Amino acid sequence: MELLKIQNVKKVYTTKLGLVQCVALKNVSFTVLEGEFVAIMGASGSGKTTLLNIIASLDKPTSGDVSLNGRSFASVPDGELSKFRRDNLGFVFQDFNLLDTFTLKDNILLPLVLSQTPVKQMESRLAPVAQMLGIDALLGKYPYEVSGGEKQRAAVARAVITDPQLILADEPTGALDSKASVNLLQNFRALNQQAGKTILMVTHSSMAASYATRVLFIRDGEIFAQLYRGEDDNRAFFDRIVANLSVLSDGGADIG
Amino acid sequence: MGVRTLGKGFYCKLAWGNIRRSREVYLPYLIACAIIGGIYFLVCGFAMSKELQAVPGGESARALFQMGVMVFTVFAAGFLLSINRFLVKRRKREFGLYGVLGLSKAHVGRILLLENAIVLLGGLAFGLAFALVFGKLLFLLLLKLMHALPQNAFAPAPVAYLATAALFLGVYFISSLYNLAQVHLANPIQLMQCEKRGEKDSKLVVPMALLGAGMLGVAYYFAWTVENSGTAMGIFFILVLLVILATNLLFTSGSIAVLRTLRANRRFYYKPKNFVSVSGMFHRMRQNAASLATICILSTMFLVTLAGTLSLYLGQEKTLAMYYPYDAYASGYPIVLDPAAADAALSALAEQHGVVMHAEEDGLNYDVAEGAPNPNATVYPGSKLHLQAHSIELDGVLYFDLEGTEEACQAFLEQARELTMAVEDAEMGREVNYGYGISDIWSARQYNYATYGGLLFLGTFFAVLFLAVTVLMIYFKQITEGYEDKERFSILQQVGMDEAQVKAAINAQVLWVFFLPLATALLHMVFASRILTRMLQAFMLYDWVLVLCCAIGVCAAFALIYFIAYRMTARAYFKIVKR
Repeated sequence: MELLKIQNVKKVYTTKLGLVQCVALKNVSFTVLEGEFVAIMGASGSGKTTLLNIIASLDKPTSGDVSLNGRSFASVPDGELSKFRRDNLGFVFQDFNLLDTFTLKDNILLPLVLSQTPVKQMESRLAPVAQMLGIDALLGKYPYEVSGGEKQRAAVARAVITDPQLILADEPTGALDSKASVNLLQNFRALNQQAGKTILMVTHSSMAASYATRVLFIRDGEIFAQLYRGEDDNRAFFDRIVANLSVLSDGGADIG
Repeated sequence: MGVRTLGKGFYCKLAWGNIRRSREVYLPYLIACAIIGGIYFLVCGFAMSKELQAVPGGESARALFQMGVMVFTVFAAGFLLSINRFLVKRRKREFGLYGVLGLSKAHVGRILLLENAIVLLGGLAFGLAFALVFGKLLFLLLLKLMHALPQNAFAPAPVAYLATAALFLGVYFISSLYNLAQVHLANPIQLMQCEKRGEKDSKLVVPMALLGAGMLGVAYYFAWTVENSGTAMGIFFILVLLVILATNLLFTSGSIAVLRTLRANRRFYYKPKNFVSVSGMFHRMRQNAASLATICILSTMFLVTLAGTLSLYLGQEKTLAMYYPYDAYASGYPIVLDPAAADAALSALAEQHGVVMHAEEDGLNYDVAEGAPNPNATVYPGSKLHLQAHSIELDGVLYFDLEGTEEACQAFLEQARELTMAVEDAEMGREVNYGYGISDIWSARQYNYATYGGLLFLGTFFAVLFLAVTVLMIYFKQITEGYEDKERFSILQQVGMDEAQVKAAINAQVLWVFFLPLATALLHMVFASRILTRMLQAFMLYDWVLVLCCAIGVCAAFALIYFIAYRMTARAYFKIVKR
């Protein structure tokens, strides 16, 4: 079933006086099916973060439309956007974005508290998520007391605890060492395969992308290729991604 | 790359650039330096002023200022040093970055020395300029408070310049040592990592909070129940210390204990509004409780100083009426007057000056059990009033009113002080001439206005100092918290809190953090007003209502200033958060 549908999205940034125009996204269209784990790859400045912000409803496209589960973002009134985001989307950021004022537990519960979930239900939802991500022993600690990998797993827990339709991840391994990265990606895979979560991840790491089921390549504001994993294992898929990058990047692109 | 290879200009440029870039912090610091320097210069100037000495009662006012200089030195130096400490502490990360960029510790130290010199010198220059411009005006104001007429314009003594320069030099020396120690004691990596984080919860929180509450309770109890003015004076400073300690404990531990309890109540805590603000407060209190406590204590000092000196000044006439039920009194010392002879001698002299000396019998302000005191009635056990021809005698002292022009009265009193009476001295075996001890309300009034006017002026200077530092601390807090909350603000929005909710939560928290010190200071003041009243009784001021009115007036004015400071600093805060 089609979960996310991006149709002819264009984003143009204009300077204040309207003199200089910067086209971040030219014309992007693609769909994400329910249960997919999609990675979007691109160099710095290719427009992938702009695309993610638009999908996250944090930014609005200049033209074109985004719809989630058949509901167009344009039809959601501004006042309800926060609630819409809270109910339907889960976010994982590169720099974790955990609040130092909360323990890991409270950080994870934050979206539930915001949607006024009863305390009992919060606790019962927390336990399996924390266990699955292996952070149940750390729940009482503050973000500054745990490692980067642990912080990111807490951030993932916060993203999935509302049981969102779509998990959006922006360079989730960007601030992690390779061991923590692998651990996190395995968690993503487990979320995708066992819990059936749909994940959309922006990355410029081929290793991270090789955990996805499909990879979209974006360059200069356009999708210019996509790869399906098919029956490949990680290693084979990784090789195909790297090969694709080196064929399609015009010489100096900084994709690694 | 050695220290020598970098030109002097490079350091100056770097130091000046640093100050300009963080002018939102340095400008208020500079203003505080200027205020402290200017006031210090004026206090020194008044303390050494020949012009002040020349006016009637000026000598006592000068003595007061000389005492004030000593206390002021301690406060001014303390404040300047602690502001410097605060500013340097939050820059540790920057020092670390310099290290990483290849500047050695010696380089960083030199930049810091220069920065410190620029700010202190700038503050000193502005303060002196301000003091020189407004010094004459303030001097006239002081004389007006003292009810004295100006004879010469105020010109600050050279020694005042020296004292102010010495204060700033001392502060520069000590703060520079501290700054250099900060840079030298840590390595770049440590410096880079010393981001702000709350300390771990300590098990001592609850006992400390209880201790604080207990100490505050004891201090309040004594302040409220003390009866005797002597005792009040004796225990006042102990109570002040107790309240300072208790305030610190309650802010640092008590707040944590309360918030912990709130957090433990899951039904309460896991509501959207409480969730964000309780945890925010918790975080904030762990970091900033000490500075909140300082703000609270400074505010209380402001209130007590101003209310006390203002009451004394405004209570003037009542105090005088207490001391002088009649315009003047005459006594013999060491001998006892012969009432009838003294009465006759004084009234005869008065007549020569065209002054009528008389006394109504009910003028004495002593507690009389029943009815008006009759001639020869017992006023209090063992003492009797004796009505004389032109005066009333009590315990060998003649009380009388004077009627005539003030000049005539003054002339009479001056003459009367030179009157002598011949008394047979048994020891020496001959007659000895003794003078009268004459005390009158006019000279007492002049002396009192000079003293209490000077005191009020000095008190106001101190109050301005406390206020400047309080506002500065509030401002610094808002700025640092602004940068912290900016991040929280955007994360909360990303996680799905809408802007109105975020704003409401942060607003509530800012209000709490801001008004907690004010509320506590006002509570302290309620109890302080009691002991203040008792202490003022040592100055014969028995007017509780007056003290209360002064306290309320000062509190209201302070709350207004505090609120204005809040509005102004909150604007700076929201500017940062929304940037």
